[in-house]
Amino acid sequence: MEGLLFNVNNGYIEGIVRGYRNGLLTGTNYTNMTQCETIDDLKLQLGPAYGDFLSTLPPNPSTSSLASKTTDKLVSEFRYVRANAVGSLAKFMDYVTYGYMIDNVALLITGTLHERDTRELLDRCHPLGWFETMPVLCVATNIEELYNSVLIETPLAPYFKGSLSHQDLDELNIEIVRNTLYKNYLEDFYEFVNSHPDMAGTPTAEVMSELLEFEADRRAINITLNSFGTELSKADRKKLYPSFGLLYPEGTLMLSRADDFEGVRLAVEGVSDYKSFFEAAGLGGGPGGPGNMAGGSGSESRSLEDMFYQKEMEIAKSAFTRQFTFAIVYAWVKLREQEIRNITWIAECIAQNQKERIGNYISVF
Amino acid sequence: MSGAADREAVFPTRQSLGIMKAKLKGAETGHNLLKRKSEALTKRFREITHRIDEAKRKMGRVMQIASLSLAEVTYAVGGNIGYQIQESAKSARFRIRAKQENVSGVLLPAFEAYQTEGNNDFAMTGLGKGGQQVQRCRETYARAVEALVELASLQTAFVILDEVIKVVNRRVNAIEHVIIPRTENTIKYINSELDELDREEFYRLKKVANKKQRDTAAADVEAKKRKELLEKENETPDADHATGPTDLLAAEDDQDVIF
Repeated sequence: MEGLLFNVNNGYIEGIVRGYRNGLLTGTNYTNMTQCETIDDLKLQLGPAYGDFLSTLPPNPSTSSLASKTTDKLVSEFRYVRANAVGSLAKFMDYVTYGYMIDNVALLITGTLHERDTRELLDRCHPLGWFETMPVLCVATNIEELYNSVLIETPLAPYFKGSLSHQDLDELNIEIVRNTLYKNYLEDFYEFVNSHPDMAGTPTAEVMSELLEFEADRRAINITLNSFGTELSKADRKKLYPSFGLLYPEGTLMLSRADDFEGVRLAVEGVSDYKSFFEAAGLGGGPGGPGNMAGGSGSESRSLEDMFYQKEMEIAKSAFTRQFTFAIVYAWVKLREQEIRNITWIAECIAQNQKERIGNYISVF
Repeated sequence: MSGAADREAVFPTRQSLGIMKAKLKGAETGHNLLKRKSEALTKRFREITHRIDEAKRKMGRVMQIASLSLAEVTYAVGGNIGYQIQESAKSARFRIRAKQENVSGVLLPAFEAYQTEGNNDFAMTGLGKGGQQVQRCRETYARAVEALVELASLQTAFVILDEVIKVVNRRVNAIEHVIIPRTENTIKYINSELDELDREEFYRLKKVANKKQRDTAAADVEAKKRKELLEKENETPDADHATGPTDLLAAEDDQDVIF
């Protein structure tokens, strides 16, 4: 039924995004890139996909400028799609940007807390999380003003309200603020795709639920693993877990009680995917914990984080097998981000002459 | 004299000869000591050069690993977290203690690195994703900074030692090639001057002796003549001894004339 009227509003967008998806680098491209000797060679290899964006770069550009140029391409394509989107798709795409907005606001809060000139921070903000009134936030000189401006000017107000007061911004660690916001954001996004009349019961809700549930679980697991050895208490940690996902509620409850890697492993036992990840990481990472990126020990043992990325990319790839869904936009953005990370990683390896780890990228096509 | 220009302006007296000899002895002792110091410093210097070489190689390796771990952080976090890190760092975790080491009288500063425990300002950075990479990156960089501190302490010692060795060598050379020859020259000069004086004195004495001898010889001749004359006069009255007027002179005859 949804196929009947979907193309009236969204057919063009879907076509465009599927076209973009075909422009993503494939395994062959990556193999060619890993053979490069210099950044210039790499630039040449990226020519077909990124040519017009990389042409302004000087010879032998730094990896960070390469990363920012490739991000520019993603941003400009995203803006094009966003400009053509109407109705609920437009709303959906706004939701996609909220995640970046949270990062930007967190950055501005950090700047304000330390009484820096927040104007220069605007350049550092992620362009996808840019909103028109963001420069207004820079006017705020103390945290209370900033809090009020955020509530008034940004769409993030609901995420602040109820869980964070302006005193909290002062007292809590900025990372807790960020993760609280992100948790609220994920829950809201999940609610949005499952309850909006245009999306509920459609493939969009189905695919997006899968993606968001995975994201929620990944964050819960990561927060737990990363909080070992810090002053984050278990009760505070529990507040950062999103209240949905495959692990929710038993898994998250067990996560909140976990004290070590073993505890986390027990908590995720119920989900076969995560269980297999942990088994692989537990073997590869040794007793020191799940060594992400397998800390220098070689490329064959993959870290937990690598496997999460891999899984996310696979879900995103399979999103394209469905038709008449908004989820492909989200999936495309995620795939593109991974591609940028891959390019940066490969460029970094080439620049530092560390070829043995160059194969650590994740390619699903 | 050949080294007339290269000697100290002293009067050639026995006193200054004594002073000069003492000075020469002092210079030689000082030369020996300084030479030994210079050798000790050079030995240390070579050792430090060797260690700097090692430290630099080590630094190259460590920095490479460190920058790769930073790349890992960028990969895992998926963005630039530099600003957050800068802002959340409140107090230094990695600190340096400076102490001094004494190498043959030269004070070399040595830096000792230590980490303050329980100071973990950005433990929560990357809580959502990439936190472990951030922590590991921090550890790797702590090691890199450790290598840097070691290198810095060696380099400082290197520079200071270099300076000191130069000064010491200059002193050794100055003593060896300037002060000792000059003092020796002065001693030689004083000796030769004193000899000269001796010779002059001797000659003068000889002259005086000669003169005296001549004078004595002349006086002898005179005396002889007079004696002979007297004897002649005495012989005449002796012939007519009874004559009265000769009595007075005869009494005088008892005494010898001694010259």
